Amino acid sequence: MTNAAPLIEGRDLTRQFPMTAGAVTALNHASIRIEAAEYVAITGPSGCGKSTLLHLLGCVDQPTSGSLTFEGRDVARLNETERSRIRLTRIGFVFQRFFLLPMLTAWENVELPQAEAGVPRSERRNRTRELLEYVGLADRIDHRPSQLSGGEMQRVAIARALANRPALLLADEPTGELDEVTGDQIADLFDRVHADGTAIVVVTHNATVAARAGRRLAMKSGRIVEAGKQ
Amino acid sequence: MTRLRLILFILLSAAGVAASFAATAAAPDALPAVLVSRQLAESARLHVGDTVTFALDAEGKGGRQFRVAGTYEPTPDPMKFTARRIEARMHLPDLVDVTAAQPDADSADAVDGINVRLAHPDDARAFGAAVMARAPGIFARPTARTGDGSDPFAVLDRFHFAIAVVTVVGSTAFLLALMVMRAEERRETVGIVRLIGISQRSILLEVLVEGLLIAAGGAIFGVLFALATQGAVNRFFQWRYDTALVFVRVTTRIALESVALAVPLGIVAGLVGSWTLLRRDVVAMVRR
Ligand SMILES: Nc1ncnc2c1ncn2[C@@H]1O[C@H](COP(=O)(O)OP(=O)(O)O)[C@@H](O)[C@H]1O
Ligand SMILES: [Mg+2]
Repeated sequence: MTNAAPLIEGRDLTRQFPMTAGAVTALNHASIRIEAAEYVAITGPSGCGKSTLLHLLGCVDQPTSGSLTFEGRDVARLNETERSRIRLTRIGFVFQRFFLLPMLTAWENVELPQAEAGVPRSERRNRTRELLEYVGLADRIDHRPSQLSGGEMQRVAIARALANRPALLLADEPTGELDEVTGDQIADLFDRVHADGTAIVVVTHNATVAARAGRRLAMKSGRIVEAGKQ
Repeated sequence: MTRLRLILFILLSAAGVAASFAATAAAPDALPAVLVSRQLAESARLHVGDTVTFALDAEGKGGRQFRVAGTYEPTPDPMKFTARRIEARMHLPDLVDVTAAQPDADSADAVDGINVRLAHPDDARAFGAAVMARAPGIFARPTARTGDGSDPFAVLDRFHFAIAVVTVVGSTAFLLALMVMRAEERRETVGIVRLIGISQRSILLEVLVEGLLIAAGGAIFGVLFALATQGAVNRFFQWRYDTALVFVRVTTRIALESVALAVPLGIVAGLVGSWTLLRRDVVAMVRR
C-alpha cells in the first residue's frame, strides 16, 4: 500500500485567518497522507485546527501555504468549478449538525448530488433506494429532516455523502450530537463503508469511534503531534 | 360650412342656469322642450312633462319656460368629475332666446361652452379651424384626443405614469431588501449545497427559475386582483362623484406591461440576493 500513490497528500499545510486583531494560525505546517481505502481518526482539543484540516482535505478551503494533492492532482491549480466537481463526485461530507436540506425529503437529499452529477433518472432511483436501505431507512424515504431523529438524520447524511460513490468520506464530529447507542450505530455504519472500500477521515472526540480507525492522529495548536498505528 | 350640419345639443354653463330654475304649472305642450341632466332632475325632483323656467338671473328675471322632455346622463369628463353636473340641453334658438332676453349685457357671456356633435366626426379638426377663423375669440377644438399633450387624458396619463414609477421604485426597493433578507436566511442552505459540490451555476439557475415563478405568479395575481376589484373601485368612485366616468380599466396592454415589468424585476432581485451568498466563502457560511 505504501508504494501506491496516496489518495490525498498534504505537505506543510498552513492556514491563517486574517483577523482585525491579527492573523489566527489555525493550521501550522501540518503534513498528512491518506491512502486509498484507509480509515483515519483525528482527535484533539477544541480549536486545535481539526475542522480547518478537514476543510482543506475536502477541497472546500485552501491553505495559506503548503501543497495538497488529491488523487494526484494539485488542488491549488484547480478552479472553484473543478474543486466543486471533486467535492461532488470524489468526496462525501458528514457533519456534526447533519446539514441536510430541510425542505427536501430523505429521498431528495440523497438524490440531489446524483442529479447534479448528471446520473440518469432510473439509475438515480435505484442508487437512492439502495443507499437508504444500506443505512436502514428504507421506510423513511418521504420524511423530511424535521420528522427524523438525530441518528436518522445522520444516516441520511451518510447516504447522501455516499451517493456518487466517493473515494473519501470526511466526517467532522459525526456523533457529536448523538447519544452513545446512536453514536455506536453510526460508527458501525462507518465500519461498513470502510469495509466496502471507501477511505474515511473522521474527526472525533468519541474514543470508541476513534478506536475503530486503522490509524489515529492527534492534533494540538494547529499541528499533528502524534501518529499511532494499530 | 353648410355641409357640416350642426346638430343642436347645447350645453348651458351650469353656473349661469342652475340657480334659476323652478317648476311651474303653465300650458305644457306649447312650451319648448329641454333635456335635464340626471343630476339636475334628481336634485330638483323633476319629471318628464314638468314645466321649468330657465333664466340667466338668479331671481328668474326674464326667464323662459320649458317643458322637461327627458333626462340624460352627462358625458363623463375627467376635467369635471368633482363638479355636480347640474346641466340642461336645449335647442340653440331657445338658448339664443334665453340669453337675448337678458337686460344685462354681460349675462350673454354666461354661456361659456357649446358642445357640437358633427354628423361626420372626421371633419372635427377642419370644422374647428373654420369656426375659429370666422369667429375671432371663440376657441373650437375636437373632443377626441389630440395627442399634443394638452388634452386632459394626456395629463392624467402622465399623472398615472408618475404614480406607477413611484410605486415600482418603492416596491423594488422593498423587494430587494426582502430578497437579501431571504438570501441571508438561506445562508446555511446555500453553504451546504456548495459544500457538497453543487455548482454555482446550478444554484443560480435554481434561483432564476424560482424568481421567475414567484415573479410571474405575483404579477398574475396582481392582474387578477385588479380585474376582480376594478368593478368595485369604479362603482365606488362613480357613486362618490356621481358620474358615469370609468376610473379603472385593466386592459390587456396594462396586464402585459405589469407582467413584463414584474418578471425581470423578480429575477434580478433573486439574483442580487443570491449573488451576495455565492460570493461568500463556503466554510464561513456553515460555521456557527
Ligand atoms: N473562518 C475562520 N475565521 C476565523 N478564524 C477561524 C476560522 N475557522 C477557524 N478559525 C480559528 O481557527 C482555529 C481552529 O479552528 P477549527 O479548525 O474549527 O478547530 P477545531 O475543529 O479543532 O475545533 C480556531 O481558533 C478558530 O477560531
Ligand atoms: Mg471543529
